[in-house]
Formats: sequence, structure tokens, C-alpha cells
Amino acid sequence: MAIRVNPKIIDDLEGYGAEDVQLCYHCGNCSAVCPHADEFNVFPRRPMRYLQMGLERKLETSLEPWLCYYCGQCSDQCPRGAEPGETMMSLRRWLISRYDITGIARLFFKSTKVELAAVIIVALLTGIFFLGFGFWQGDINAYDGSNAFLPSSFIHNFDLALGFLVALFIGLSAFRFWWFSMGGKSAVPIPWWLYIKKIYLLPWHFFTQKRFADCEKETTRRIYLPWLAHLGLMLGYVTMLFIVMVFVKQLQAGPEINWSVHVFGYLASLGLLIGAVYMLRGRLKKNRTQYQRSHGSDWIFLVLLFIIALTGVTQHILHRSGLLLAANIVYIVHLMVVVPWLLRMPFTKWAHMFLRPLGMYFSAVRNEALARQKSGIETTVPARKVA
Amino acid sequence: MESRECKIGVYICNCGTNIAKVVDCEAVREYISELPQVAIARTYKYMCSNPGQELIIQDIKEQGLDRVVVAACSPRMHERTFRAALQTAGLNPYMFEMANIREQCSWVHDDPQAATEKAKALTQAAVLRVAYHEALEQMMVDMCPNTLVIGAGIAGLTAALELADAGQKVYLLDKQDHLGGNLARVDLTAPYLDSARDLLTERITRVKTSDNIELLLNSRLQELKGYVGNFSATLVSVDSDDPEENKAQKIEVGNVIVCTGYKEFPAERVTHFGYGKLPNVITSFDFEKMLRAGRIECKDGEIPNYVAIIHCVGSRSPEYHGYCSRVCCMTALKYVHEIKSAIPSCYVSDLYIDMHAFGKGHEDFYRRTSEVKTMFLMFGKGDHPIIRSAGPKDDCQMLIEVNEQLSGEVIEIPADLVILMVGMEAREDATETARLVNISQDKDGWFIESHPKLDPVATTTDGIYIAGTCVAPKDIPDTVAQARAAAGRILAKIAKGKIAVDAIYAEINEDACSGCRICNELCPYSAIEFDDEKKRSHVLSVMCKACGACVAACPSGAIKGRHFTDQQMFAQIEGVLR
Amino acid sequence: MSFEPRILGILCNWCSYAGADLAGTSRIHYPPNIRVIRVMCSARVDPTFVVKALVSGADGVLICGCHPGDCHYSEGNYKTMRRIPLLKKVLTDLGVEDDRVRLEWISASEGQRFADIVKDMTERIRALGPSRISAELDVDPREK
Repeated sequence: MAIRVNPKIIDDLEGYGAEDVQLCYHCGNCSAVCPHADEFNVFPRRPMRYLQMGLERKLETSLEPWLCYYCGQCSDQCPRGAEPGETMMSLRRWLISRYDITGIARLFFKSTKVELAAVIIVALLTGIFFLGFGFWQGDINAYDGSNAFLPSSFIHNFDLALGFLVALFIGLSAFRFWWFSMGGKSAVPIPWWLYIKKIYLLPWHFFTQKRFADCEKETTRRIYLPWLAHLGLMLGYVTMLFIVMVFVKQLQAGPEINWSVHVFGYLASLGLLIGAVYMLRGRLKKNRTQYQRSHGSDWIFLVLLFIIALTGVTQHILHRSGLLLAANIVYIVHLMVVVPWLLRMPFTKWAHMFLRPLGMYFSAVRNEALARQKSGIETTVPARKVA
Repeated sequence: MESRECKIGVYICNCGTNIAKVVDCEAVREYISELPQVAIARTYKYMCSNPGQELIIQDIKEQGLDRVVVAACSPRMHERTFRAALQTAGLNPYMFEMANIREQCSWVHDDPQAATEKAKALTQAAVLRVAYHEALEQMMVDMCPNTLVIGAGIAGLTAALELADAGQKVYLLDKQDHLGGNLARVDLTAPYLDSARDLLTERITRVKTSDNIELLLNSRLQELKGYVGNFSATLVSVDSDDPEENKAQKIEVGNVIVCTGYKEFPAERVTHFGYGKLPNVITSFDFEKMLRAGRIECKDGEIPNYVAIIHCVGSRSPEYHGYCSRVCCMTALKYVHEIKSAIPSCYVSDLYIDMHAFGKGHEDFYRRTSEVKTMFLMFGKGDHPIIRSAGPKDDCQMLIEVNEQLSGEVIEIPADLVILMVGMEAREDATETARLVNISQDKDGWFIESHPKLDPVATTTDGIYIAGTCVAPKDIPDTVAQARAAAGRILAKIAKGKIAVDAIYAEINEDACSGCRICNELCPYSAIEFDDEKKRSHVLSVMCKACGACVAACPSGAIKGRHFTDQQMFAQIEGVLR
Repeated sequence: MSFEPRILGILCNWCSYAGADLAGTSRIHYPPNIRVIRVMCSARVDPTFVVKALVSGADGVLICGCHPGDCHYSEGNYKTMRRIPLLKKVLTDLGVEDDRVRLEWISASEGQRFADIVKDMTERIRALGPSRISAELDVDPREK
């Protein structure tokens, strides 16, 4: 059954950052140099080909964009300057928009201004809400206790609600991701127990991102810095989120420091700040291939995170120094940045936090299913017509 | 076989280790030195080198050698070199023979003993043969400085101007009523998008106003007689079928340049493209017509939203022609540019097997075509994209189904207009032209050059040159280069004034000739005349090419093939079977 | 010791000799039983050459020319195409086995083909045994 090509898709993807993909003439250098391409996953060349030809269905059901950490070696090797690394990034953005049923992701990726406006509006609304709430039931000079401006119990519940909302949308996207790539539309039948067999990969990829470290095969240094920075950043804010969701009471109690909680907070903040600074600096100086091209969504995430970390630390210092008015004001600002930052997660690049480990997990499952099929263990499926 | 008194010098080359590794050159030398008539036998590392040749020259002078044999590489390689060495030493260059103990001995056999025995035999054969060699002299004949150029396309125009600018007279012939050939049908040229009209106009004007060029349009060559430097051509007009009305014109020329060009492959032969049935499937030349008229449109006058271009139509296929037509890839990219600049919103797909971007500026041109978002699709050699009409619900006129190689998918491409890049093929009258001027065609109908690498514009018939696409598909830069090269060769010959005719030809001993005339019809060059008075046949030595057909055929044995006499051949056969 | 045939090859300069040279430059090996002499065109091959060869100790004769249509002298090989089969008819009547005289068209690019033909012919003649002509005329030069 012949698939109709769609020459318009490539125009669409331009908005997501894939400006040079038409230059690719399929020499295959990129896939050859990619440390993670294998016989089942020929990337970045195959997704680039689908993109050039506008095979929407194939792109939508593709796992390959999620197997990439944008080490940039492919773009370095490309003789035509077709930017395969950036194309994979653009495809991830496009896929996030496809998984998202609300259409907000598409809006945000297409226009940074719209995203910025949304962030500002949500920030203002948050600020107004918390200011209002604070003045209505508390004293701006009190940080914790019975008439705290922003009581920890309220914040705790607010955080949980926010978290639930975000989880809902990201869960929906994750489900659609699974449905597109592995579920009903998949050509390969996957035995259910394979999902269980490989389940350990999810936390493994989520917490270590070891494959990112493996990207640097020809390293002169012993540690691949982008991986370390990324890991530090990610573990930093994941830890912070966890602490804030569960231990916000201990955080706000004081002025004594609850060391068993705070030590994690300090470590996390350190990781966050160092990671964010490293990446921001990288993008500003364009000192690595993967930092050459920065989409609006890349900046917003990092800048907001940086402000969050800064306000979080500042607020902590102010609180412990006894400057409670200042601490509360900074707390408001902190919340004004946190809320939009969290809410945008399922609709922006940040969704990769869950989608990439999922993608790698799915890929491992599917690879094994394909391998089993190839060696004839499973029942046959209609073979794809190969030239 | 009576033996003759002669002093033969034999030189056995080691060729470094090429020969010496397998053949025991010293053993050969020893064997040969025992043969009667061998005055001296030597081995040496590299006979073709300056010291090697010096060795021969010195021996000729000091030892009084009157014949030389070199056992080394193929005579096709160095016969000329050693003949020149003999000439330097004051000996007639034809008193020389080579034994091929490299290409046909040391390089193809691994048994050293057998190879050495064979080398001995081959060298002995050469020694026995050379004893019967005769001193042969080359003849010099006058040369007519006029040139006939057949074909007034870009090649013919260029060659004619090159000659005319140097002050020589040119007869420029073309069957059509206008100049410019196939290039006149083209709008722009790849990769710099120059106008073909600009390229041609200047040349056409100069040709028409040149005093040295006699323009003969609507004319063709009816007969060419003679030999290099002294051709006599009969030209007739193509208009009239009536032989009475045909104005026959006889001209005298010294050389001929054939620039008859190509014709395009007939696309209707490729049935799965539907050319001639589907209204919007056109060929590249049909498209050029559209471009020159200034409007790209479908049959119904609508502007196309989707255009597809298919490469290699009639080329690179065992069913039609196996060769690549060379110009179509860049021409296709040129079309992409022209379509995109005329209709920016149009989606263009380009279906190719390989992208042949071999020349100057081609890769950059290819890259620029990628930048304007052309969808490049690759299909396999021998595979068939299939064009069919689209349905009423589709937003296009046709759909092309392709087994796309870069993705591995079977895909469908929308197209309102399909342009078939038809290849080049030899003209139908090429065989007649070849026969008239006595040149050969290869299996695809292209004219054969004297040597594909080292002599691309000459032919094996002296005085006949070929240039442009009638030799093989090529683009404009190469065509112009060849046209100028041919003209340059002729100018060099004209400068010399006289032509050397080869010393090797057939000779009839009139006393032995019985007048049977069997040889008259055998000669492909019509070089044998019959003298009605004497009732004997006679060879026109300047026209004889020394093929030897008449020599072998003469029942009286009256014809001697100089340098390939029966005596010499027999001696060689004896020697080689020792 | 097995019988080693002696084969004379008569090759035309423009196609077959060039083809044999190509076998050399490509280092394609073939048996050393063949010994080659050169003519400008296969049309030069007088039937007496073949007879001379057979009488001088050749167990086989291989004549090679350009492919029909490609003759450097336009039509030379057409003449060879008529002469040699006619000669073979006469020779067969005289008791010379058909495989001993062979006509092949070899182009300048067919080095491998030349080698294959030589190999094939050598084996065929080895199977046939020594030519009876040289045996009967007692002119085997090897016995000298």
C-alpha cells in the first residue's frame, strides 16, 4: 500500500526549528557516527527522511527522536550542514505537540511570544492570587506559624493540586505516545510480559541518563560534561520538587534548619544552579554543537529555572536571617515563577523528562520484540515492502 | 627458408622485476645469442629508458647492426619509442621487431620454466621475422587547407569559427534550415542559468558574416572520396527528392569534422510513463518549449501545484540504453530552479537514481536546489516509477508510485505536470554518416574515437575528426572543448603543409597479377584501382590502410603486404613453435 | 608427463591483441601453451598461415579478431568470418579435428574472456592429444 508524500510537512516543521533538513542528501554519516543508532533504529537519517517526504504517520509513530540526547556529533559530521541533531530536537518538539491533545504545545512552540505571554499572565494571576490570599488570612511579616502569610499546609495542598494537574496532562501525553508508537498503530505485536521484563529501564534512564554519558565515545576528558550538567540539573530540580511537595512544612518551619531535609535541598540547589549556569553559558557562547541553535522554549525553561533557584535560595537566606517581610515577598515572586514553570511542563520541551525515558524503555521492548520476530519465535506479521 | 646475412641486435628487458621475476632473462639471452645472425644479445633493466635506448643506438653505431629486436612489453606500448631510437642511430625504423614477453608472458604465467621457454620462443620468432624486414619510407603529400564541418550545432559553429578566425576556409554543412542544432531548442543552461540564445547568437552572427565560412544549409553529404589532405566531397540539397533538381556541389577539402549531434530518446517507448497518453506527461524538450514561450502550464492552461521530474528516461536501463546521458541530472535541477522562480508556491519533486553532479559548479548547484525545498526521491536502477491518473477526490492530476530507496517505503507522489528527462541517443542517420566518411560506430551508435583517453577527437580514419555529442553524450563545455580541439589539430596539420602517409601498405606485383579483380571489391577503402589498359589491378598506396584483406585473398599471391609479408609471417610462425 | 599442447594464436592488433594485453595488465593468468603473433587485421590471416602452423608443430591455432561491426578496417572480420569456416571444412576433410582451429571475436576490453578462451582451448586440445599432422610429418620441434 503506497503512502502519499506530504511536501507541506517540512514547511510546518520549520516553525519547530528544523530549518536545514532539506539539505540532507542521505550520505548516512550521521547514523554511522551516532553512538546509539542500531540495526532497528537507524537515526538520525530515517526520521530525517520521513520528514523530508512528509510521511506524517511514520513520524508520529516513531520512537527514534526519543533515543537521542543531542550530543551533536551527527551535526558535526554532516557534510551538507543539514543539522541532524537540531532536526531531531525539532522532531521532539513536534511530537510533544502531537501527543498533547490540548493544542497548547503547538501554540507555544510555534510562537515564543505566545508562550512568554502565557507565562507572564499565569505569573501575574498567581501573584495576585497569593497576595490576595496572604493578606486575607495572614500577616505579611509572618513566615510560618498560625498566621503565616503563606502557610505551609496550604502551600502543600496547592502543590499537590498543581502536581496532579500536571501529572494528568503529562500522563495523557504519555499514553498517546504509547498508543502511537507501540499500541494500536504499531506494526509489531508486543507480548505484554516484555513490558514487565524491561520495566527496570524506566527508573534507570530517568535517574542516570547513562546513555547520554555513552554519547561521548571519543572523549579526551574522562567525564562528558553536558551529561553531568544535565544530570545535575535534572536531579536537582526533581529532588527540589519532591522536597517541596512532601516536606514543605519542614522547609518553612524555622528559623532553625531541619538538617535532614535541608541538606538535600542544598545539594539540589547547588546542582540546579551549576547545571543551569553551565547550560545558559553554553547557549550564550554557543560553545558546543548542541548549543548552537536555541529555540525560545530552550531559553524560557532555563531562565525560569534559574530565577526559581535564585529566589528559592534568597528566600531561604532571608528567612533564616529573620528578614521575614523580604522573605515573604521573595516567596511570592518564587511562586509566581514556579507555577507557570510547572504548568507548562506537559506542553513544552520539558515533557522530555518523562517522554525520553519512556521512549528508551519502549524502544528496548520493541527491539526485543523485533529480534524475536526476526529469529522466528513470534508469529509473523505482514512484512514491510523493502526495495 | 633461406637464411639471410644480417647483424641482429637482441635486447631482453627485465622491466625491473615485471619480467625478471618470472622469466629467466639471462637464460633467454644465452639461448638467443646462439642463433645464427644474432650479432649481440643483451639484457637490461629498463630498455625504454634513456640509457636503455642509448644502448641500442651505441650498438648500432659500433657493431654495425642492421636490425634490432627488443623482447619486452607489448609493441602497442613502446614500438614507437624504439623505432624512434633506430631512426636516431641512422637506421630505418622498420628494421625493428618486438617480442611481447610481459603482457603476454611474465604477467600471465606463474610457472617460471614454462614462461622462460615461451619467452625464448617469442624472441626467436621476432629474430627470424626481423631478418625479412625491409627498409620502408614514408611518403609526403600536399594538403588542402579547406575543411568541411558537418553539422552546425554548437560544436560545428565553434569548430568553424576557430578555423575561420585562423584564416582558413570552412564549408559548414547542416541538414536543417537554421543554425544552432539542439541547443537552439533550449532556454537556459545549467548550472549558471545562462541563456542558450545568448550563447548561440554571437556565434551565429559571426558565422553568417565571416568571409571564410561558406554556409550550406538544407544540405547533406552525398559522397566523400579521397584521403587525408585530399578529400573530394559531393554535397546535395535536402529539399528536393528529384535528383535532377538536387543541386550537387563538389568541394575540395583536406579534413572533415563530424559534429552531427544527437537526437532525444523517444519517451513513448517507456510505456509505464504514459507519454502520449497522459496529457500532462511531457519530455524535457517539450518543457524547454514551454520555458521559451514564457509560461509553465498544464494542458488545460492551469498553473501546476505539483511538478515531478523523472531522471534517466531511456538511459541506464538494460531495456533501452545502458549508458548515462550525462546532462539530464543538471538539466533537471535547472528545471527546478526555473519552476520555483516562476511559481514559488509550486511543490517540486525530483525522482532520480543517482545524482550525477560531476562538473564544475554542479555540487553547489545541487545544494542550492536542496535549499529551495525540492523533494528528492531515489528509485532503483531498473525499477519503474508508475504514473497513473489521480482520482476525483485528489488535489492533483496524477499520482506516481515509487519504490523509494532512501526510506525503503513504497510512496505515492502528487503531480500535475510530469517532466521526463529523456536521454540522448544516436541519430538515425548516424550510420549513413559513418559509412560516408568511413568511421565506425560503437554498439550504442556513437562514433568511435581513435583512442578513448588519449585521442578523443580523431578517428582511425586519417583526416576525419569527430566532436560533440555524436561521439557520446556530453554537456556544452565538453562539446566546445572537443570542437576546438579538432579545429586545433587541423590547424596544426595545415601549418605543416604536407601530410606523411604511412609506409605500411599493400603493393601489387603487376607481373604476377592475373587481372581477376577479386581484390577490387574487397578493399573497404576503395584503394584498389583496375587499369583497363594494362588489365592489371593497382593499389593507391596513399589510401591503403594495410588491413591485409587483399593480400590474403589474392589467388596469384601477387599482393605483398608491406611489413606483413608472407615470408615474415611464416618465419615468425616457425620461430614461435620451436 | 602429460601432453602439453602447443597453440599458435594469431591476433589482430586493434581488438584482440589489445584484449590479450589487457589480460596481462590485469594479471589474469592462463596456460602458457599459447604463443601469439600479431597481424593488423584478422583479414590478413591467409589460410596458409594456419596450415603452416599445423605443419610446423602446432597442435591448435586460435584466430582472433574484432567483433563483427567493430572492425578497425570496417569489414575485415567479415572476410575472416567466411574464410576460416571454409578452411575448417577443408581441414576436417583432411582429418584435422574441428577443435584444433578456432575463430573467436575478442574486443579490447575482454581480457578475462581471452584468458578463458585460451584455458578452454588448451584443455580441449590436451584431451584431443598431439596433432597427427606433425606426428606424421615428423616435424615436432620438441623432438629435435
